[in-house]
Amino acid sequence: MTDLAERRGVETELYEPAEDSALLAGAAVDGVDAEDRVLDVGTGSGYVAARVRAETGAHVVGSDVNPHACRRAAEAGVETVRADLVSPFRAAVFDVVTFNPPYLPADEDAARDDWVEVALTGGTSGRAVVDPFLDKVGRVLRPDGTVFLLVSSLTGIEAVVQRAGERGFSSVVVAETSFPYETLVVLKLVR
Amino acid sequence: MKEDLMDIICCPLDKQTLELSITDEDDGDIIEGTLTCTECGEVYPIEDGIPNLLPPDMREDASA
Repeated sequence: MTDLAERRGVETELYEPAEDSALLAGAAVDGVDAEDRVLDVGTGSGYVAARVRAETGAHVVGSDVNPHACRRAAEAGVETVRADLVSPFRAAVFDVVTFNPPYLPADEDAARDDWVEVALTGGTSGRAVVDPFLDKVGRVLRPDGTVFLLVSSLTGIEAVVQRAGERGFSSVVVAETSFPYETLVVLKLVR
Repeated sequence: MKEDLMDIICCPLDKQTLELSITDEDDGDIIEGTLTCTECGEVYPIEDGIPNLLPPDMREDASA
């Protein structure tokens, strides 16, 4: 996976903002109001969280499992919590949840032994993190809340839409960009 | 962290209320302290202003 990491211009301690981050931030900004409370899961550098807050005035909290990411996001002025997905947040407290997950399918033997691997890869299917996220996000979201989720064609967009459907969400593509090797979409999920 | 974060966080294990204990605070920012679950008693540290609310079993193996 090192070549992917290099191609995406990442450092060794956290995933730097790239095309996918900008696509997600742009889509989220359009769907967030100033009075909303927003959670950016896997906030990384804090890019999406900081942009959503700056451009909407919403109250934005970032969470990340990576301590380096938490520090960087905090330095970017984002209120940050070190967390496993949405586990330490109360029920029905967020109007909007954004997530640019690790989604690249990994080789069977690729170890998730460094933080960039953790940020990029989602198991052999690419959905090892997206699936538990979809299973759990409904708890912290208000009943009329919205999820903005970045998904790659490499992950299987249909499989993600189906999983979301099983969790009571309908999905619509609100942003899309294509590269020679993959198409990135932002799914807007509502119940 | 800001104290109003208490309104939206809970114990990652049993989702119960956390009790905040502050050891260092700077102009409304809580820099060091602990968050203790009022139900199961698990203690979560606040370090450099960032609450570590990882479940206990993830604290060690998440330190790559």
